[in-house]
This record gives sequence, C-alpha cells and structure tokens, in this order.
Amino acid sequence: MNSLKSQIVNPDISSSYTSRLARIDRVSRLTEKERLFRIAVEDRKPLGHSPGQFIMLSIPGYGEAPISISSPPDRKSVFEICVRAVGNLTNALHNLTKGDRLWIRGPYGKAFPIENLKGKDLLFIAGGIGLVPMRSLIKAVLNERPAYGKINLLYGVKSPDEILFKDELSEWQQTGNMNLSITIDKPHPEWRGNTGVVTTLLPTLKIDETKTVAIVVGPPVMYKYVIMSLGDKRIAGHDIYLSLERRMKCGLGKCGHCQINSIYVCQEGPVFRLSDIRYLREAI
Amino acid sequence: MEYRFLPKKEIACFVTGLLKDFKVYGPVKLVPAGMPSNASIGDTKKGKDGFPMYGEINSPKDLNLLHTPTHLSPKQYLFPPKETLLKFKNGEKPGIESVVEAHDQVLFGVHPCDIHAIRLLDRVFAYGPKDVNYLKRREKTFIIGIDCIPDKHCFCKSVNTMTADYGFDLFLHDIGSGFVIEIGTAKGKDILYKHAKTKKATNKEIKKIVEFKNKKAEMFVTTLNADASTLPLIYSGRYYSPVWEKIGKICYGCGSCNNVCPTCYCFDVRDEIKANLSEGERYRVWDACTLEDFAKVAGGHSFRKTRAERLRHRFNRKFQYQVDKFGGLFCVGCGRCIRTCLVNINIAEVTNELIEESNRKP
Repeated sequence: MNSLKSQIVNPDISSSYTSRLARIDRVSRLTEKERLFRIAVEDRKPLGHSPGQFIMLSIPGYGEAPISISSPPDRKSVFEICVRAVGNLTNALHNLTKGDRLWIRGPYGKAFPIENLKGKDLLFIAGGIGLVPMRSLIKAVLNERPAYGKINLLYGVKSPDEILFKDELSEWQQTGNMNLSITIDKPHPEWRGNTGVVTTLLPTLKIDETKTVAIVVGPPVMYKYVIMSLGDKRIAGHDIYLSLERRMKCGLGKCGHCQINSIYVCQEGPVFRLSDIRYLREAI
Repeated sequence: MEYRFLPKKEIACFVTGLLKDFKVYGPVKLVPAGMPSNASIGDTKKGKDGFPMYGEINSPKDLNLLHTPTHLSPKQYLFPPKETLLKFKNGEKPGIESVVEAHDQVLFGVHPCDIHAIRLLDRVFAYGPKDVNYLKRREKTFIIGIDCIPDKHCFCKSVNTMTADYGFDLFLHDIGSGFVIEIGTAKGKDILYKHAKTKKATNKEIKKIVEFKNKKAEMFVTTLNADASTLPLIYSGRYYSPVWEKIGKICYGCGSCNNVCPTCYCFDVRDEIKANLSEGERYRVWDACTLEDFAKVAGGHSFRKTRAERLRHRFNRKFQYQVDKFGGLFCVGCGRCIRTCLVNINIAEVTNELIEESNRKP
C-alpha cells in the first residue's frame, strides 16, 4: 500500500466534536423526574457561558444531547444543569452520582441580550422545565438587582409536585424583590394557589407596557398563546424574547435537525427576539 | 484558460499514472454480489448493464466514463455515509481522541451538476464553525470533471448547472477522437503534465466544446417553466399549496431522495461501544429530513409531523431556505431523486405545478 493512500488519523487536527472531560460535583433531586447536577470541568478553565446558552453533553456509549445551562455566568469552571429523564442519555445521566465523569463541549448558541434588559421591567413567563434555562438569566439579573425595574415571574406547571427550585423561588421573592405567581394546570387537593394555564395569570397583571420586556421559555405549545396574551397587554414583538427547543445533533449549524426555514436554531438561537421570527413559518 | 488534447487511447495510461499517487474514484457499473452479470437494478434496461454509480478504480478498465447520470453522486467520498468523529475510552483513564480521516484522492468523471453540488457543500461545511472532517478531506481531493448527456430526468439546464466554469482541477470534453482537457487549477496542470501525454488543443478541437454545449442544450426532456432566479420566491409564495398534501399522501417517507441527493448533508451523530464496554466511537451517519423522527425532540414532540410537512421542508431546502443562507439553488437538477423515488414524486413536476399556481394566483 502506497503511503499516500493510507488512512490519516491526525491527532494535531481537532475534530469539531472534541469534548472536555467533566465530573459530577453534586446531584440534587428536584422532583420525581428532574435532577440538578453541578458539574466541574476537569481542565478547570471556565465554561464562559451567558444565560440562554447550552452545552452538548455526552456519556460515551449513550450519545450526546443539547442541555441548557441553568446557572448564571461566573468565572468558575463549575456550572449547573437541570435535566429531566426522558431519553437514553438523560436516563443514563440520572444514574450517575458525585465523582462520575461525563464529557461536554460548548457553550453554544445565542444568549439573552442582558444589556438590552437593563433599566427595564422584566416579565418572566416560564412553562414546566422552561424555568431551567431561565434560571440562569434570573440569577444573573438578581445579582445586579438595582439595574432593573419591576420583576414578575409567571410560572406554569402541571401539578404542585413538578415545581422546580422551590426554595430558590421563595428566596427570589423575598430577597430579590420579585413578584411570583405560580399556576398549576388542573385543580389539586393540596393546592391553594392559581389553577389554569400560565396565560390565565396575565389579564390581571399590572404592567407598564412602555418599559416591560417579556422573556418566555416553555414547551412548544405554550408560545402561541402566551404571545397572543402579551399582544393583549400591548407588549411589542421587539420586547419579547423566546428560547426555542429543537432536536440538535451537532450544535455547529450543520446536521440540519434544528432547522426552521433558513435558520439553524443552534447557531442563530436558541434565544430569539419575537420580532425577528414572527413571520418565520414553523417557528411558533 | 488552457486546453490540452488527450487521445482516447492515452486515457488508460493517465489513470494508471493517477493510481500511483492517489486513490481514484469514478463512475462504474456495479453488479451487486449474487446477481448475474447481465442483471440490472434501477431503471436501466434489464440485461444490459449494472448499477451506474461511483466506485473505487483499481485499474483503468474499471473506469466506465458514463455520459449518462449515475444513481449515486460522488458526495460519499467527501462526506461518507458513516464517518468516525471521535474514539473514546472509558474506565480509570477516560479519554477522547479526535478522528479526522483524509487521503489524497481523485474523483474522476464528475458531471457538471455534481461539481456544482460539491461547491455548495464546500460553502456549507466552511460556514460558521468549520467542519474539519469535511474540509480536510476536501483539501486532499482532486476533481476531474467530464461532460455528460442528459437523460429524461435531468434538468440541469433549468437550474444553471449544465456547465461548470470552475470547481474542478481538470475537465474532460469528449470530442470523439479524444478529450479536450480544460485546466482549472495550477494543481490540475501539474498533475496532467506529470501523468498524461497531451498536446496543445487546436482551435478546431476547442470549438467542438461549444458545438457540443449547444447540442446538449437542445436535449432536455425535463425543464422548469420559470427562470431559476425566480424559484425561491415562487416556493416562498406557495408554502400553503395543495401540492404538499398531494405528494405527502403518496410519499413513503423512506428517505431515498435525501440519500441520493448530491446536496443533502444532514446527519445524525451516534455512539457505538465495543462489547468490552471500555472503548467505542462516536460517528455520524447520513440522516434524512423526510424521516419521521428527524425533527422530534425528547419527550416526543415533532416539529414536522406529517409527510407533507417534511417533503415541503425538503423541497424548500433545495429552492428557498438554503438559497437564503448560502446563495445558489441547492437543487442542481441531477434528477436522482426522481429516478429513485418509489412512488414517482418528481421534483421538476412539483416545481412546475408551483410555478403554474403562482402564475395563476399572483
């Protein structure tokens, strides 16, 4: 065999899929299905993310998946993710404990434009595990609380036992000067709060539409209705930010799975300004 | 532009020369294992030949410089159907090793449509975060184009890919007695001079290229009834056309059209672990946007539930979405998806229906 013809496996050229080794630092059970993992990157370099970005996380043999980062940006090489066990990889992840290893690459994607939010009243609307990526932003905002105006968080979940970050929610309310309203989809014997989908919280909410920015993260079905209700509150499309979920395999704008018309969510999103995607078919 | 002339009898010598320095891939007529040599699959006439596609050339006689289209495009040599990205080790000292495979190779006998397709793939894989695996392989690839004769499904003329002015190192024009070779790059010139006994092409020989081009332009059975530049707008305007539902109803959702398309590049990333559980690899495989699970997220929500929606997405990728993003139509008119479709969904007919609808409903 001619040497030119032989296969070259070149260790100097890095494939775009190379990952960094990380270790689970702490696991806490949030609900029956969701766990919060604190993850430490082995090379001790900071992750360097912004709120709204995601990583590609993998356990060799189980594959790779996009996972939103749930902790606010900081200079440490430790970050948090909150994961619901729904698939092959996420079920395997739930079986891991402190000290176990996994691989990460990223962060990827466009983040929430935190500078555009300063000086504004913020209206957070989360549905289910939509609170997970939103938590990164909420914590970043609360770290600089005086830079923002009024803050409301409307949070819709299916049932009381699915409420995520319970302790933190009350802490945000008390020390963060944030109004919190939680609603559950259907009446529950132990629940004395609001019932109904998250949009039922909007009509009675008092907001100043001239200085309010809405941040919406939730399941696909939620967006259409929330956007209609925000329209009723006269909040303009350029003051609404969303984070869209799509299937992703590469995170690099190549594999095609996350494509909505001519955009790749992994590159141009997952965070979008509503006015930029309102007329994009198949987005919402 | 420099033109050289290579007599037909010298082509074998040229290929032998290339084989010394490169792996060579070119059009072959493949007869699948277990089939009698006179059997055929696909739409070729029974008993006449094998399956026209690209294969590895080990000797000049393997090369079958087909003037008619091949069922598969040469994209597989730049973007393999299965490609290892990483090798990993579990256990005490876990590790991930990145894998980038590339070797010096020649794609011999690439038709103009496929040359255009490769140029589009080059743009895709270099856009944004670069895809090292593709780009490294592309860098080591030498392209020799060849002119071709359209069959009844080719419509390259309608999408401006009937000829290729660049995107190749060398290009062969068959003028009967031999080939007029158009030199596209300096590397092409070096390799031609090194491996082939050519002489300067005469003006008379060069003129035959244009004569053939004019003749070829008259050969098309399939044409699109609108100018190529208007197609993105027509597709955009016919998003709610009844055509999607009509073809969605008959589509099997098998993904064949994606596999044979020279500009389809979607892939899935998967892990495979050895039985000892201590090592394995991460690889990518071709995926297809017409398959049911393509846009399905964990938890089961699919963003394109019906076959009609998935076909509309695929067609729009060719005529609108990727055009917006990368410039240039992503349908190169090769007709492969038409030839391969089990239920005769015809991208040219569908496009013509949309054109007609948009003429009717301004």
